[in-house]
Amino acid sequence: MVLKFNLMFGKMDNKEVLLLKKALERQKKARFKAEQILENKSKELYEVARHLEASNARLENLICTKSNEIDGAFVNIIDPYVVMDLQFNVISMNASAKEFFGYNPGEEFVNLSQLVHPDYLDYNVNYMKNLLQYGTFNKYRSKLILKDKSVKLVEINGSLIYDRDKNPIAAQGIVRDITRDEEVKHLLSAQKKQLDIIVENSPLGIVLTNGNQIIRSNKTFENLIGYTELELKSLGVNAISTPDDVEESTTLLKKMQLGEIDNFTISKQYNCKDGTHLWAKTSVNVYKNEDDGIDYQVAMIEDISAQHELEVERKQLLEDLEKSNKGLQEYAHIVSHDLKSPLRSISALATWLYEDYKDVLDENGVNQLRMMQEKVESMDKLIVGILEYSTVSSETVNNTDVDVNQVIKEITDIIYIPDHVQVKIVKKLPTLFADKTKIHQLFQNFLSNAVVHIENEVGLVNIDFTETTTHWQFSIEDNGVGIPKEYHEKIFKIFQSVGNNERSTGIGLSIVKKVIDLYEGEVWLESVPGEGTTFYFTLKK
Amino acid sequence: MNILFIEDDTIETMKLLRTVSKLESKHNITEAKNGEEAINFLKSDADLPDIILLDLNMPKMSGIEFLQILKKDDVMKYLPTIILTTSENRADLLECYKIGIAGYVLKPLKYDDYEQKIRKVLDYWETNELVKA
Repeated sequence: MVLKFNLMFGKMDNKEVLLLKKALERQKKARFKAEQILENKSKELYEVARHLEASNARLENLICTKSNEIDGAFVNIIDPYVVMDLQFNVISMNASAKEFFGYNPGEEFVNLSQLVHPDYLDYNVNYMKNLLQYGTFNKYRSKLILKDKSVKLVEINGSLIYDRDKNPIAAQGIVRDITRDEEVKHLLSAQKKQLDIIVENSPLGIVLTNGNQIIRSNKTFENLIGYTELELKSLGVNAISTPDDVEESTTLLKKMQLGEIDNFTISKQYNCKDGTHLWAKTSVNVYKNEDDGIDYQVAMIEDISAQHELEVERKQLLEDLEKSNKGLQEYAHIVSHDLKSPLRSISALATWLYEDYKDVLDENGVNQLRMMQEKVESMDKLIVGILEYSTVSSETVNNTDVDVNQVIKEITDIIYIPDHVQVKIVKKLPTLFADKTKIHQLFQNFLSNAVVHIENEVGLVNIDFTETTTHWQFSIEDNGVGIPKEYHEKIFKIFQSVGNNERSTGIGLSIVKKVIDLYEGEVWLESVPGEGTTFYFTLKK
Repeated sequence: MNILFIEDDTIETMKLLRTVSKLESKHNITEAKNGEEAINFLKSDADLPDIILLDLNMPKMSGIEFLQILKKDDVMKYLPTIILTTSENRADLLECYKIGIAGYVLKPLKYDDYEQKIRKVLDYWETNELVKA
């Protein structure tokens, strides 16, 4: 056709060419227009298709969101469950949440950020930033002020909700009220703190052990022994104890393990860090842990170094006292022997002087020799008395049944009783459990004291007794010269004699006092000068 | 009787001699001032005494020390030994009997009492059969 056209063109005139050109132009324009219409139509079609696609996607998204809500790992109908948008506006709540918060998002507008307690605001804002970044949160804490103005501590596990394009559009969360848990936890920790204060400030060292192993120790024990808790843990019980003590406590621990005993107390020595030893009373109690089934021991350690030192000192003192007592007794015997010997010599010489020279001596000389003998005699008595007094408490006490009636009989047989004096037992006297020699000494001194101080024509000495639950009470009554009140205490002191009687040495009643002290008794007297004296004394049964 | 009298005090010796001199029977008294002297005498060639009168409190060698030596000797341990002392110490008395004695006589204060006691002791031993040397 182009060829034909060219042929024609060759033959056509200019007019014809111009017409043809115009027609061609028209044709071009028409085609362009048609193309434009087509394009518009197809564009429309495309738009429609796209629109359809978008709404389809929206639908899918919606399904996705719903399934997200449902699939949330933490859905639990018992715990409060909340869905909110990213501005914290609550979208939905389950029944439990409604009850907990006191709000109903269907009826009122609830924004969770407005419920957060001021204390938690900053922390929660930061936390939400993390949530947006990571998508989930675990055990996120908050303090909320609920509708009823109550403040609750809550723990929230939650996650973001995304649309189809993975854009976060909301958040869901399960809320757990941990207010009570926290209170309990707080209480426990407070109690633990209190216990710790007691343990740490206890004047007793406290150590928790499992056999040889030291698990815990308090400051007091660390201070006592000089090791730190860490050092103690690596050392163990045996390393800080002496071998003898280890043996003893091992035996006791075994008994404890077998359940034969629950606790024991021993006095033992600990090896301190500085090389010294610590004397301590250690009380060990078993503690069975139900959780791990292990027997623990709680040891209370009391520093008794001071007591121990005192005890040692006391023992030493007692030993010294015993020694010095024995020495004193020995000394008393030696002195009495050394004093008695010359008296015997003087007595012998005076006797011979009289025997050999009685022919040349006048009455005065004989009298002087007699007086000399009397003085020697009273001095001998004094020495015997002192010896007796000094040995009353130091000699061993040998308690047997002692029939006091028998004792009185023996005494009245040997002591000097003036003819005008009568010794009478008012009623049968008891049998005592006591040292016979000392009871003898006791009554002999009372009786010889009584019989020599009677100036009445008829002298009477009555011995009687009564009985209390704890003591025997004896009385020795005489109708002698009597003792003035001011001497009632004095006469029991050594070398104190009231009368001017040559026979009294002033020792007798002090021996009496010593024997009565030995038997935890008392001695006293009632006396009317010129009428008589009654001595009372008690002896513990 | 041959009597060994062991005593450090002069007047005590005078007391014994005076007492013995008054007795009908005659006794031969050998004096020793202390245990040591007594041992020396016993170990000498002299005849052994029939009885020994022994004081306890003496210088150098006490009566008890003497007694211990005496009782360890195979021959001398048979010599009857009578203690003559002022010591009423029970410990002394028990110790003496434990080692072995034939009597324990306390010296009384009065000379007359002394004379009587010694007379009785010597009378008693005179009536006994003695191990003659």
